[in-house]
Amino acid sequence: MSQANLATTTALVRIRGLKLEASTQRGTAHILRGVDLDIGRGRILGVVGESGSGKSSLASCLLRLLPSNITHLGGQRRVRRHDLLKLDDTTIAGWRGKRIAMIFQDPMTALNPLFTVATHLVDVLHRRHPGISRQDALGRARAALVSVGIADADLRLAAYPHQLSGGMRQRVMIAMALLVEPDLLVADEPTTALDATVEAQIVDLFEGLRSKFSGSIVFISHHLGLVAQLCDDLCVMYGGTVVETGPVAEVLSKPQHPYTQALLACEIDSDAQGGRLVSIPGEVQDPVAPHMACVFAPRCAQADARCRATVPALQACGAQRTVACVRYGELG
Amino acid sequence: MNLLANVFTTLRKVCGTLTGAVGLVIVLLVLGCAIFAPWVATHNPDALDVMSRFSRPTAAHWLGTDHLGRDLFSRMVHGASIAMQIAIASIAIALTLGTSLGILAAYLPARSERFVLIVFDVISSFPSLVLALAVVAVFGPSSTIVVFIVAVTLVPHFGRVARSQTLTLKSAPFLESERILGASWGRIVFHHVLPNILGPLVILASMDIPVVITIEAGLSFLGLGVRPPLASWGTLIQDGYTYISDTWVPVVVSSVALAVATLGFTLFGEALRDAVDPRIGREH
Amino acid sequence: MQADTLRYLTSRLVTTALIVFGAMLLLFTLSSIVPGDPTAVLLGPQASPEFSKRFISEMGLDQPIHIRMWRFFSNVLRGDLGTDVVSGRSVLGMILNVIPYTLVLTFSAITLAVVTGIPLGIFAATHRGTVADNILAFVSVAFIAVPGFVVAIFLLLIFAIWLNWLPVLGTSQSGTLLDEFRRMILPTLALALGWIGFIARLVRTSMLEVMGENYIRTSRAYGLSERLITYKYALKNACIPTITILGLGIGRLLGGAVLIEIVFARPGLGRLIYGAISERNYPVVQGAVLVVVVVFVLVNLIVDLSYSAIDPRIRHNTGSAGAVG
Repeated sequence: MSQANLATTTALVRIRGLKLEASTQRGTAHILRGVDLDIGRGRILGVVGESGSGKSSLASCLLRLLPSNITHLGGQRRVRRHDLLKLDDTTIAGWRGKRIAMIFQDPMTALNPLFTVATHLVDVLHRRHPGISRQDALGRARAALVSVGIADADLRLAAYPHQLSGGMRQRVMIAMALLVEPDLLVADEPTTALDATVEAQIVDLFEGLRSKFSGSIVFISHHLGLVAQLCDDLCVMYGGTVVETGPVAEVLSKPQHPYTQALLACEIDSDAQGGRLVSIPGEVQDPVAPHMACVFAPRCAQADARCRATVPALQACGAQRTVACVRYGELG
Repeated sequence: MNLLANVFTTLRKVCGTLTGAVGLVIVLLVLGCAIFAPWVATHNPDALDVMSRFSRPTAAHWLGTDHLGRDLFSRMVHGASIAMQIAIASIAIALTLGTSLGILAAYLPARSERFVLIVFDVISSFPSLVLALAVVAVFGPSSTIVVFIVAVTLVPHFGRVARSQTLTLKSAPFLESERILGASWGRIVFHHVLPNILGPLVILASMDIPVVITIEAGLSFLGLGVRPPLASWGTLIQDGYTYISDTWVPVVVSSVALAVATLGFTLFGEALRDAVDPRIGREH
Repeated sequence: MQADTLRYLTSRLVTTALIVFGAMLLLFTLSSIVPGDPTAVLLGPQASPEFSKRFISEMGLDQPIHIRMWRFFSNVLRGDLGTDVVSGRSVLGMILNVIPYTLVLTFSAITLAVVTGIPLGIFAATHRGTVADNILAFVSVAFIAVPGFVVAIFLLLIFAIWLNWLPVLGTSQSGTLLDEFRRMILPTLALALGWIGFIARLVRTSMLEVMGENYIRTSRAYGLSERLITYKYALKNACIPTITILGLGIGRLLGGAVLIEIVFARPGLGRLIYGAISERNYPVVQGAVLVVVVVFVLVNLIVDLSYSAIDPRIRHNTGSAGAVG
């Protein structure tokens, strides 16, 4: 199986063959069916996919924060020389809050309602810098809030989560993540639960992070336009697999995988007059179904017999690009 | 038919857990004794046999006799009957009354509703045993009083749940459309509201059975519950307790009977609730 | 913030006052519908007819009902709970005489229950599914289900009669603190056991519920230690549903105390009420029950107010439910 073309020296995280299975009432659900992915050092990777593509589970895997019905976690995940999946629970827990930080999707429930913003941030700081004085911690927390665009930082520090709007809570979450000074920042659909205007503000915030934050960012979203705006690299997921990766501009201008092409076609074109909205026919495959062929084949306009018979491997298709399609090269 | 199928699957789920199965067995045992008491009991529970008072368990008297020579086993079996009668009667009354008030409260204008809720609060402000004592002080002990008091203390419990369930249901779209279509109030309540809220209420009712048994036993233990010649477990415990220095068998036997029964019903009630919807009863 | 808390406080106080008023109304109604000759109840069968007549006019029992109601309410509010016709002592005095015993017993039981139950609950939550958890679950249910007085009788049998470790009945004759303490062990234990089971299970359920919430996931994602998460964060969140349901169960504690006092022949409100009922001494019953109700309602009020101490959402927004997360 050929690897992605990112030079191994610049990849912060290399994921190979990541499999995730969960036991459900209806059988074993294959949430991730062998994911190969590289996360570039200091780059922003956008992971795009619809619901059920496994992108959020991928995020959880990065932190190894998995729900209790997970039965099998396989594959490799290397950061520097550590295979994170083979590390025991305590060690991986040691990475959280020190080298990895995560921003969750729903800011309304992500903060503990009984504790102030200050408590949240100070506890995170204590973890990251054990022995830091309360004065110092509060100072840093205040500075972090300012850096994410929160005015009245002192007021907000003493506030409880329910006194803050959704957008403000998400800013607090981002501040918390930045305080960790992580190597890897995972943002799991950070704007999905927000209003459009607030979403725009948060996106601007992330834009600003490019210059201020030196680690890598994984930005997960189902909104292609957002990812196009923010990210350096793009990873398209479908049905628990990666179908295409590469620098964002290239993937979007010359998509190689039928799913990516279909996604782009679905984006509402404000220039087009009239006509019907494009959609992808069919439904996402049931995760309980076994993995025998290309996951996208049932909905793919260009699927042929090979697509329905073999699992397409992720292959290189250009400089730093990969695609998982048997028919790569044959399609226009 | 759907209902029957539901009941069966629920029972299967209940038996799936160890506690549920044990609870079900005990419940069936107690119910069996209660219903078939005259046949299960070996003697007439009131038959005096003063010559053999305080006898230890023998072949003739399986669990021995009490201070008047009455057969303990038979009295215990009939005690199950008393406990069940009182429990079912009071819960039935409380359920009917509480549900009606609860549904009513959900539809009343705000001030009247507030009044109903305050009435509920007033009743709940009396620890049930204490309320029972206050009433018994006035009217004297009797089984009817016990049933009535226990029913009254349970009314707020059912009433609140019925009300909150109805309120949730009221805002359901299908009820709105019924109203708009001009369905009569009666039809809405009996045909739609009631069947939907009855489920959780019945589960709550089954979980209240051990509570009722306990209150009744407590009252009878104090001599303020059922009157002789009726003998509930509470009475038996009191009798045994009074003569504890002569023999500890009666008090232990009747206590164990009460403990096992309440435990069994509790286990069963909880397994039942967990099988249907673990969130029942957690609403305020 | 202050204005909000004040508003909340006032509305709760008003409701509480209404409830006490309603309870008084109920008790008065009960006393006025006593079947038969009221004096037979109040004076006992030995009273002579002349005495009864004088008594009736003195007590105003021949007045129309609204006047009696007014007298009743104004008396109670002035602290006059009536006079015990048998002994002539004031009912309030009699109650104050015995209430320390009941309070000490109840307070010790609650303390024991909280101190034992909460750690057990946390243990069960953090060791979910283990053998210890299952055993604890069963034992908790057993103690919750079995009536307190039955437990009391068993404890009495085992420890006082068979093993003869502890004194059996009553309060201390010698008056030494140690003797008092020894006599309190069994009753306190009997009362507390049901509560230990109740609290342990409640804490366990609340903790497990809280542990599944998103904000705990955030704490985990940031690598905060399990100890910090459990004891600082989750425990505080779990307090809210715990206190809610605890408040609902206080009534059973008081009811249990009554029976246990009687089983162990200890003086207290329970014995007082029981004795009064046997003597058909209704003023005493009425007064004692009223005191119990007031205490009960006050405790509920305190429980409710403790929400706002714990949950800032209540303070800032009156009327919201104390929901978790």
